[in-house]
Amino acid sequence: MAGLVIAGLRLAVAGVFLYAGTLKIWDFTHLRSATPDFTIAIQNFRLLPSPDLALLLAVYLPWLEVTAASALFIRRLALGAATALLGLSAVFLGAVGSAWWRGLDIACGCFGKENAPTDFRFLLLRNTALLAAVAVLFLHEWRRPSPTPPHS
Amino acid sequence: MIARAARQLALVLALALIPAVVSGAWQLAWKKAEPLAAGEVRLATAREWGARVQWVDARSRAKFERTRIPGALLLNEDEWDKLVGPFLDAWDADKTLVVYCDGGSCEASHQVAARLRKDLMIGGVLVLKGGFAEWQGL
Repeated sequence: MAGLVIAGLRLAVAGVFLYAGTLKIWDFTHLRSATPDFTIAIQNFRLLPSPDLALLLAVYLPWLEVTAASALFIRRLALGAATALLGLSAVFLGAVGSAWWRGLDIACGCFGKENAPTDFRFLLLRNTALLAAVAVLFLHEWRRPSPTPPHS
Repeated sequence: MIARAARQLALVLALALIPAVVSGAWQLAWKKAEPLAAGEVRLATAREWGARVQWVDARSRAKFERTRIPGALLLNEDEWDKLVGPFLDAWDADKTLVVYCDGGSCEASHQVAARLRKDLMIGGVLVLKGGFAEWQGL
């Protein structure tokens, strides 16, 4: 039963991050790169000292989401992937919470370009749930024995 | 266990770096070659025109007040009725209007440019390719 729950969680978490990452890489509506829109979304949070840093993150973070989500299914990388996703979830939750706290009226940009105004309470709930799911996966991988037995 | 987690994390971070670098390089190359749509102008061209350009900021007031292209006038869809009068008072008709919004796939600059052409019958209104992000060098 526990194995089934973990498998379901793994699928759900990987699905969310694959979906979110892909939409930040490619804009399927305009058939073009989504990096400029994600750069602007990052800048709107007003957490970074320079626009260049926002651009670097906009190029790298979506690929990290996609890579880590895929690596969740590779036994030898699952713990590292869960660690990366745990960090990403915590950062996203912190960024959203901070924007809400500062009263910013911005789009989240969590799933590519979003025109609708952000409902921060919903977003905080969603990100908290995601963080909890990733934390469960992380703990599972942490306790899991190493795939390679130690040399005797 | 910490060492295993750190080793795997480093590997995942490095693996993600490969497509990110390729994607970044490809996007830089594409950005240079991307064709202009009708009514758009590149930043380099507008810069060459210097003082003959009147920048029009089609973003929100909050963004305009935080940072903008020097000398830009605010004119957006949300506050059109309130802003259009002061905008016309401030605009020197000898200057070419170049409208910008955030960049990326934002539509505000195209909407404001269309309205300037249609409602105010102003000819030769242009939209900055890449928007404010381009101005920032992104």
